[in-house]
Amino acid sequence: MYAWIWRHLPGPLAVRVGLAVALVAGVVALLMFVIFPWLEPLLPFNNVTAG
Amino acid sequence: MGTVEDARQGTGRISGALTGPDVPSPRPRRRAAEPDRVRTVIRTIGEVLITLGVVVLLFVVYEVYVTDVISAGLQQDATKQLDDRWKTPEQGPERVDHFDGLNEGEGFAKIYIPAFGADYHFTVIEGTSERSLEIGPGHYLDTDYPGQPGNFAVAGHRVGKGAPFNDLDLLSSCDAIVVETQNAWYIYRMLPKKDEVANWASVKQGKPACNATGSQGQPQAVNPLPGEYEQTVGMEIVSPTQGAVIAPVPHKPGTKISKGEQAALLTLTTCHPKFSDRQRLIVHGVLVDQWTKNPAEPDKRPAELQEG
Repeated sequence: MYAWIWRHLPGPLAVRVGLAVALVAGVVALLMFVIFPWLEPLLPFNNVTAG
Repeated sequence: MGTVEDARQGTGRISGALTGPDVPSPRPRRRAAEPDRVRTVIRTIGEVLITLGVVVLLFVVYEVYVTDVISAGLQQDATKQLDDRWKTPEQGPERVDHFDGLNEGEGFAKIYIPAFGADYHFTVIEGTSERSLEIGPGHYLDTDYPGQPGNFAVAGHRVGKGAPFNDLDLLSSCDAIVVETQNAWYIYRMLPKKDEVANWASVKQGKPACNATGSQGQPQAVNPLPGEYEQTVGMEIVSPTQGAVIAPVPHKPGTKISKGEQAALLTLTTCHPKFSDRQRLIVHGVLVDQWTKNPAEPDKRPAELQEG
């Protein structure tokens, strides 16, 4: 999977490394700001109210 | 491209020739494609599993650190809004707190727990929805307000989202919980714990906070509450469904004690144990002192804030 992505990144090595870092950062941001905030209330970790 | 392929085939032929007639010659490339595909599938499954593991770790980072950063910003905004609102003088000559017309998600008071450090303070937000609790400790909508007879009940996160009540289990009886409103300061102290009730007189002796004097020189006596309040102790761990802990008389939702005769209590709730919502950690405090802010001395703060 990662090898496939790497093979399909265009440009010379420096550009590929830059693109790869950007992709990882994008995925992490998507997780942190969209997916996790949506997921978190559904999980039984942090309910603090009684009743 | 063509030349590279040709070169490879050439190499295969040469090595085949070198191994001799008894040894089977290397498989041609077309048949090798089958194990390659299997290998690719297995590798991809492995990569997906590793990725999922990393995602779970990232979720922990999110829950414990990132939500703290987000909530710190929200809490700062709420505190600034509250400060701005408090700066504009109240209408009319009476400087009395009134809490009607509060919107959910709006800050209306500040809570200080000196035992958690001199800089521990949070703006209390109206309501206990997910959104309110993300900003700061949230006031249960149908409970009373600071200083009023009954129960001023507040919920707060234990882990992440600013974790205002992270160390709630470390509070001990008589610790001060100070609430500031626009016009007044309210000093609550944690009630005796269950195992301290029986020999409270001797426990009390050893704690300076239990024998503090108030703003008028009066003793701020903390004592086990009598009668219907028997079950109201300083700290308890209950199941999430026990909503009666935030009732005006805790554990007695159907009490016959009239509003005016009820003790002025404060109840803090958070999840327990940490990282779980299996139970709730509850802290009850009782109002021991209160004083109205003097406009001439806007910077006067309660001496209790220095405890800790």
